[in-house]
Amino acid sequence: MSGIINSVDRVRLIAGNTFLEAVRQKFFNSILLISIALVVSSIFFQQFDFGTGELKFITDFGFGALFFFGSVLSIAATTQLFFSELESRTALTILAKPIYKLEFLVGKFLAAHMLMLCFTLIITLVLSGILFWRENTLMLRLGEEFLDGRLIRYGDVFLFGLLQWMKFGVLAAITLFIASFSNTNLYTIMVSFFVLIICQLQYIALDAYSTIEMGAGRWLVQVLSLIFPNFQLFNVGDQLVFNAESALPLATVMQIVGYGFFYTVVFILLAQLSFRRREI
Amino acid sequence: MSSPAIRIRGLTKDFSFGIRGMKLRAVDDLNLQINQNEIFGLLGPNGSGKSTTIKIILGLLKASSGSCEIYGKPSQAVSARHSVGFLPEAPYFYRYLSGWELVRFYARVCGVSRSTIKEQVDSVIELVGLTEAAHRRVGTYSKGMLQRIGLAQALVHDPQLVILDEPTAGVDPLGSAAIAEIIRELKRRGKTVLLSSHLLAQIEGLCDRVAILHRGKLVREGRVDDLVEENETESLFVEGLSAEGRAAVEKTIAEQGGRLCRTEKPRLNLDALFLKEVNQHEAEREAESGAMSKGGSA
Repeated sequence: MSGIINSVDRVRLIAGNTFLEAVRQKFFNSILLISIALVVSSIFFQQFDFGTGELKFITDFGFGALFFFGSVLSIAATTQLFFSELESRTALTILAKPIYKLEFLVGKFLAAHMLMLCFTLIITLVLSGILFWRENTLMLRLGEEFLDGRLIRYGDVFLFGLLQWMKFGVLAAITLFIASFSNTNLYTIMVSFFVLIICQLQYIALDAYSTIEMGAGRWLVQVLSLIFPNFQLFNVGDQLVFNAESALPLATVMQIVGYGFFYTVVFILLAQLSFRRREI
Repeated sequence: MSSPAIRIRGLTKDFSFGIRGMKLRAVDDLNLQINQNEIFGLLGPNGSGKSTTIKIILGLLKASSGSCEIYGKPSQAVSARHSVGFLPEAPYFYRYLSGWELVRFYARVCGVSRSTIKEQVDSVIELVGLTEAAHRRVGTYSKGMLQRIGLAQALVHDPQLVILDEPTAGVDPLGSAAIAEIIRELKRRGKTVLLSSHLLAQIEGLCDRVAILHRGKLVREGRVDDLVEENETESLFVEGLSAEGRAAVEKTIAEQGGRLCRTEKPRLNLDALFLKEVNQHEAEREAESGAMSKGGSA
């Protein structure tokens, strides 16, 4: 039992130290500022006079910014945090201590995941603030459209943030796995983006092949759909925030979270298998 | 612990490179035993396999064949590293932490208990002579200070075996002398020290035993005195001898069946001369400033 406690303590130390390093990087701050600026800029579209449609537009715009910049940050930060330790050879000093390589990897992953939590929280807070302000303004101007109360379910904005954060976790774990056998930053980033596109669009292939009869092609697509997680499952923005009739069931949310957690663990374990053979 | 600090048997390490998987042999059938409370020097030119051997001892690399044990435990086992402290060559640390925070971080990674951690950190920082700079950011440290804070992080969990990879590389003679003194202090405290270097003059006065590696193979191994001593010749250091006296000595040598091979003036090595001069100058400055402050206060 004390062994597990010590192990958790070491992971926490590495994660905390790496997180401190991450938030001091200019890249994180730049991406964060650009994302906030983009979300805030959506309020300038009010001059098109969408009416209550403006709220939907701001929400979609904010969710889009969260997905795009979050994906960029997740891949770039994980790659940078991993390779900075190898290139500066601080990994040599840490791994020469009584520490398992899995603890080192999990520490790195958790640091990147905490960074993404900060990013997601800040963006969802800014988005919620803007939506709240615009909704209040529209309520005063177009009172008759708000007879049933507020249009926006603010809890759903954060629920969407949580699901995106889970997706960033899977993406960070995939990036860590690629970094574990790759020799350069650039290769890791390029391959990770390639995998992100596959994961994002794999549902199209699944739809296309679901109509064909059983055969090698269908079998191959099914195998690939198991290897690459389906990121469309996390994109439930349309079922959230404005869909007053049916909120997303808790069981579905838990299933999506479980799906993300499963793939995160699998890719971290694969990273460990590859990293244990790597020359430091 | 009755086992030797390190026991290496038949150690071979091949690196594969290229698409065809061509092999490069970095360490070739190495056999070594490093005993407890010994300062052992691993010598050799660049590319001789010193760092690879150290990485295998630390469990950072897996040997292609052979075995390596630390106090009887396989070096690949994480538990074996509880008794090992390591200073890598040209260490780089988290620049935004202070020296004290850095050593504390490594102490916690090594599982030093919270009740003793402050005492341990203060103690090793004092040992390496960085008390005054302990709360400065590591990013502002000189090369010599980085080596010393590196030593502090290697020692903070009180390991029995300390492995130092090129501990004096790039450090000025004063810094090197300070590090050498710390290594001697470690021996006095009962620690075993394995150090690798190609700065042979520094090793010579420090190590009990050395091993010389070349292209991954062990070339020589033994006590420093045994290896460098010329058994067939002896030196006589004489003072105040006249020309007649010298002629008489030479004649006696010849009569006793010996042969005078060469005569030379005893020399200080440059390191010793540098240290002597700098320390003398430093002592004079301190004496002067002491006298001035006394004069000022009077």
